[in-house]
Amino acid sequence: QNRNITGRVTDTATGQGLPGVTVLVKGTSIGASTSADGSYSLSVPATATTLTYSFIGYTSVERPIGTASSIDVGMGTDAKQLSEVVVTALGVERTRNSLAYSATQVEGQSITVARNPNPINGLSGKVAGVNIRQSNTLGGSTNVTIRGTKSLFNSNQPLYVIDGVPISNSNTNTAGQQTGGGGYDYGNAASDLNPDDIATTTILKGAAATALYGERASNGVILITTKKGRKGLGVTINAGITGGRIDKSTFIKYQKEYGGGYYPTFTRTRDFDGDGVIDPLVRLTHDASFGPRFDPSLQVYQWTAFTPGNPNFGKATPWVAAENDPSKFFKTASTLNNSITIDGGNDNGYFKLGYNSVRDKGILPNSEVNKNIVNFAGSLNLTPRLTTSASVNFSQVKGQGRYATGYSGAYSENLMTNFRQWWQTNVDIKELEDAYNYQQLNATWNLSSPTAGATGQYWNNPYFSRNQSYETDSRYRTFGNVAATYKFADWFNVLGRVTLDSYDEFQEERYAVTSVGVPGYSRYNRVGREANFDLIGNFSANITEGVSFKGLAGANIRRESFGFVRSTTNGGLVVPGLYSLSNSLEPITPPAPGIDEVETKRGVDGIFASGTFGYRDMLFLDLTARRDKSTTLPNKNNAFIYPSVATGFVFSELLKDVSWLSYGKARVNYAEVGQGATPQSVFDVYDKPTAFGSIPLFSVAGTKNNEELKPERTKSGEAGVEMAFLQSRLGFDVTVYQQNTVDQIIPVNVSRASGYNSRYVNSGEVRNRGIELTAFASPFRSDNFTWTINANWTRNRNEVLSLYEGVPSIQIASYQGGVSSNATVGKPFGMLRGTNYTYLNGQRLVGTNGRYVESATANEEIGNPNPDWTGGVANTFNYKGISLYFLVDIRHGGDVFSLDRAYGLDTGLPDETAGLNELGNPSRDPISQGGGVLLSGVQADGSPNTVRADNSGIVDGEFTGATAYGTTFNPAAAFVYDASFVKLREVAITYSLPKILLSKINGVKGVDLSLVGRNLWIINKNLPDADPEDALSVGNAGQGYSTGAYPAVRTIGANIRLSF
Amino acid sequence: CIDSLEDYNIDPKRATVGTAPGATFVANAERNLVRTINSANVNLNPFRFYVQYWAATDYPQESRYDINTRDINGGYWNALYRDVLRDLREAKTNIAADKLLTEPVKANQIACAEVLEIYTWAVLVETFGDVPYTQALNINSALPVYDSQAAIYADLITRLDAVIGQLKPGAGLGDYDLINGGDMALWLKFANSLKLRMALTIADVDDAKARTMVASTVGKVLASNDDIVDLAFDATFPNTNPLYEDLVRSGRNDFVGTSLFVDQLRTKEDPRLDDYFNPADSPAAGAPDFVGGEYGASNPYDEYSPAGDKLRQQTLPGVVMSYAQVEFMLAEAVARGYIAGTVTEHYNAGITASILEWGGTQAEATAYLAQPSVAYATAPGADYREKIGNQKWIALYNQPTEAYKEWRRLDTPRLTKPATANSEIPLRLPYPVAEQNVNTANYNAASSAIGGDVVTTKLFWDKR
Repeated sequence: QNRNITGRVTDTATGQGLPGVTVLVKGTSIGASTSADGSYSLSVPATATTLTYSFIGYTSVERPIGTASSIDVGMGTDAKQLSEVVVTALGVERTRNSLAYSATQVEGQSITVARNPNPINGLSGKVAGVNIRQSNTLGGSTNVTIRGTKSLFNSNQPLYVIDGVPISNSNTNTAGQQTGGGGYDYGNAASDLNPDDIATTTILKGAAATALYGERASNGVILITTKKGRKGLGVTINAGITGGRIDKSTFIKYQKEYGGGYYPTFTRTRDFDGDGVIDPLVRLTHDASFGPRFDPSLQVYQWTAFTPGNPNFGKATPWVAAENDPSKFFKTASTLNNSITIDGGNDNGYFKLGYNSVRDKGILPNSEVNKNIVNFAGSLNLTPRLTTSASVNFSQVKGQGRYATGYSGAYSENLMTNFRQWWQTNVDIKELEDAYNYQQLNATWNLSSPTAGATGQYWNNPYFSRNQSYETDSRYRTFGNVAATYKFADWFNVLGRVTLDSYDEFQEERYAVTSVGVPGYSRYNRVGREANFDLIGNFSANITEGVSFKGLAGANIRRESFGFVRSTTNGGLVVPGLYSLSNSLEPITPPAPGIDEVETKRGVDGIFASGTFGYRDMLFLDLTARRDKSTTLPNKNNAFIYPSVATGFVFSELLKDVSWLSYGKARVNYAEVGQGATPQSVFDVYDKPTAFGSIPLFSVAGTKNNEELKPERTKSGEAGVEMAFLQSRLGFDVTVYQQNTVDQIIPVNVSRASGYNSRYVNSGEVRNRGIELTAFASPFRSDNFTWTINANWTRNRNEVLSLYEGVPSIQIASYQGGVSSNATVGKPFGMLRGTNYTYLNGQRLVGTNGRYVESATANEEIGNPNPDWTGGVANTFNYKGISLYFLVDIRHGGDVFSLDRAYGLDTGLPDETAGLNELGNPSRDPISQGGGVLLSGVQADGSPNTVRADNSGIVDGEFTGATAYGTTFNPAAAFVYDASFVKLREVAITYSLPKILLSKINGVKGVDLSLVGRNLWIINKNLPDADPEDALSVGNAGQGYSTGAYPAVRTIGANIRLSF
Repeated sequence: CIDSLEDYNIDPKRATVGTAPGATFVANAERNLVRTINSANVNLNPFRFYVQYWAATDYPQESRYDINTRDINGGYWNALYRDVLRDLREAKTNIAADKLLTEPVKANQIACAEVLEIYTWAVLVETFGDVPYTQALNINSALPVYDSQAAIYADLITRLDAVIGQLKPGAGLGDYDLINGGDMALWLKFANSLKLRMALTIADVDDAKARTMVASTVGKVLASNDDIVDLAFDATFPNTNPLYEDLVRSGRNDFVGTSLFVDQLRTKEDPRLDDYFNPADSPAAGAPDFVGGEYGASNPYDEYSPAGDKLRQQTLPGVVMSYAQVEFMLAEAVARGYIAGTVTEHYNAGITASILEWGGTQAEATAYLAQPSVAYATAPGADYREKIGNQKWIALYNQPTEAYKEWRRLDTPRLTKPATANSEIPLRLPYPVAEQNVNTANYNAASSAIGGDVVTTKLFWDKR
């Protein structure tokens, strides 16, 4: 009599079910195959004693049956076989064994394990060689660089390809926003994808891996393959909710001893209560906390006395620190992330239909970003030879009240700048909320005067700002492809494919009437299109016994266009609350061509071929060549050819009798990739400033174009070894690489005395060399319990080898605070420059006033924003149906300049600006009374400093308006911090309901419950009061610069995954 | 197929080089020149601070001579080279190639551009010292050498003499001339007045040349307030007066008068006082309504006098050269013995012109001049430099660039740096950081040639 055995087979590395595993009664042909979630059911004869489980790429497992009716099994990958399929350039699937370059494949479930709604952020800490820098803004940008910054001025962001469709990862943030000048962070477009739809993500790092992608491949490629339908019909539902609170270690901690003002005195010029005595009045216009010492017995007229509706209207109130500081301004963030996927298929084809909805509310009032994505993919074998397929992805992203970044912009007020740099510690944030709620007016603390009807001086009521001056935006996007493959013979097929990525963006920014400065409205419409036409012939043949050949030859035609118009009101708004261009107070000025009105096109025609020769699955040789013709270059230089050659040697094939060695492969490769220019950098054009009345104006453009440009080239070499030991319980993959980017097309800074800012030239060389290490181990593995560690470590060294003839250094960007990013010969990219300390015998020199002596120029190197190394360690524990996963993400080294500190310390906000000095006296007391701060350093004669610097704000009877700590009396170098961090990035506990339970629910194949956490704990950091990772935007500028930083958000949530 | 796609590289929204009329570049250069030399923007023009007309309210760093943090020197340098001089060069090229203009009109238009160029170069040299000149404005010399300031100045004077001969009656730039309305007679007066100005600038180093130059301008300079060379700003942003932008449009209250300046205006009952300044919102008990703050310190805005309403108008003209300034120059020329006449007459005419320029009356001017502390004979001061210098300082209130040069040249009034100053009072602006980085070798050579790229290096004409 047969009996029934059920169970589930899981991957020990991920805890996820393994579909398609063959389960056999040992010694018979009785067997079954596991279903989509890894479960199986098998009727076994009474004589059966053992079950075997086998699956390609995994070590086979045998289990005694005994009396069990349920047997769950975990299977580990068998590196020796390593027939794992990796998706490579142009979507070619290859076995890992045959790869002769570094390509890291990340499984979809590894990206979504902590339910990160942004699939790119979900890669952080998981891949060696990939540096991901996230922003803490809602729906904000993610800066991704692979193997370092290569191009000085062109994009260093990788190319994103989804199922063969190159998609735009464009970022519409303004140049001002990217250099901390203010504006909104609109995020980047690669996030328009449902993370649950991702089957695998392959990161192609070096040029040998990417050369087939042509001119855009020099920064690496992130290749995303979405899930395909499986046989039968399956439905998967994910429902999740997360909540987030700010991580207080990343927000300013205020001193509570002194209140508002730039001087330690009140204004005493008015008698408010009419008693004939002049009353103390807090200095309302002063956005600083360098004012008088708090004293509850002192009755002072504060902003509340002049704000109708406030209970203290017309009254003096005690001079005390606010009960609620701005950390109470932040709300609990929440995300609802729901998705459903229906898929199915048979021998003739498959289909997949998915929907993903993300409802994201941020930590700021009135902030949300909602995303709806619908996608469909299908394939049908029309004849045995002809297969057709199509996929389409519709997405809609709508934002409202995104966070303003940097210093405040014309239509964006960054309240972090307000809270961290310019604040009065006596102002209670809850009172501001009440003041706004009273009549929805701009009842601000920072009044220009105590007179009735006074408006804001520098800062609006933050609640008014969030609720009245918000932005809205939308992006509608479609991308997809239609393809047909015709199999002429077993060894030859031809693929024809058309892909399209098309998006329309609309952004509206508002600055409400009664706000500080000029109210207004700005609208921005952008349209982007990219079409690709591919024709690729694939060959596959065994040339002789043991020698295999796979090859392809093809052509690609790419046409891109994008354009935008930005238009803004002028001088204010007529009707409050009406946001239209026609509501402009003064006549609106036409959009400036080339700045506000832009239309660009780009075309590239490429032909390419590649061949892979294999010898006995042991030795592989890859050859590729591609020729591109790019419209961005002058006609005479517009075609360029570049090759790659790569070899791999699976030496473990020769060492089969070495039992501890499971796998070993060595690989080495070299490749070149060419790159065209930014469109419209060949011919010279004029700028068109706004006409002066009726007189048109023209001006020579700041950048001189160049009719002699030639392509930029990246030369890349790489060597690596992969090894696995002890039945693949232990293994590593180490890669060393060097990439030199030469003939860079750069708008090189020229002396402005030439009449230009910059000139496009081919010049400059940047070298990146580094080591990438990936390792895995299974320290413990048993039937019920497994422990797996995956770790990666990256060290990249970047150096600018040369620049334009004779130019030793060029400025990439300059920032508020007297700091700039520079490319300097012999130094890493992005060196920060500004004023430095003056050093005497290695000690900081202190002047006779007790303050540091600043360097004479603002041109001293004060920081290097590039990390020394980055790494990540993921641990996964599986016990029966329970899986615990956590990821630690590490960045070591690299510097960041904090404008928040430079100004915040000046205005007396952080706690260290108050308190006691080394004598035990309040440091803000006058020096004559024992106050002041003793700065560590030496005097001019080399002896240790003994002179205390004034921290009271009065020197020789003059108001200095600044503490001893801030930017006024300290060099920029004083605000450069080590940007290292160690973060507990992701935690997930997943519980899969046992089959026994599931079998009682009709039709349900799997139920996974998970609790997830993201960014729960910054284990270590050296930047005070902020998150060292927080990025302004995507791009080369802004690295190593922090202003108006948003606090990190700790996120905790739950998810349920149902499959039917 | 790409061979036929050359238009992919053509910007469909912008005019290709060579296609726009030259006069539009002159108009743009005039606008940018006048904005730059008159601005009060703390990122661009700090000279109202340096001559202590104004003190800062809450953010005193720039009044303490912090130049680096805001790259003020870079802003000033870039504006003059890139936004003024380069456009004037383009103007000359496009005017010369314009088939629609007659030769006399072309010659006049180019001559006007040349006068503006000389004026701008003079300002650059007077601000920085040695600057790129012979190799400047040429993209093929992307790293130009610096020329000696004295040599540049001499060449500018040669060029000015040449162009004075080329300004002919008839049509010029027409409406594109935002400062002189196409009036060629006025251009000739302006060019001669500029010659007078440049002559006096070098008077302390080359007396003979200055004398000859001044003599050649007699009777050819600005002759009344009708002749003021200025640019009438537009009522609509972004072509409003830059002062309006920094004082009104920004909504900020960054500046108040200094006690040095306001007290002098008040005690001498200067009729310009209530034009130059507004009364303080809420002066300290016992303080007058018009009261100045402490230079270099932070000053509570509502306790001191801010800039007057006249300076807050969108359409306030930006002055390139005032008639009052010319009269003060003539007074000095007489005092130096360069020309005949009486110092007092020109001194009185300068003060009167200034008072009338600011809306005062002849009666007010007469009353003001009658005060012993104002009258030339009895005004305080050891010599003409101090007597003229002090009144010129008062009159140049809204010409900060000129005021800064004249303060350095005439050393009047005596200014002291604040206790919290970053440096001595700057006698020049240091070279921009970008020059140090990009044009390093030439920067280093220039730096040593002038005696160090520091604010205390005196320029070649600043001998006393």
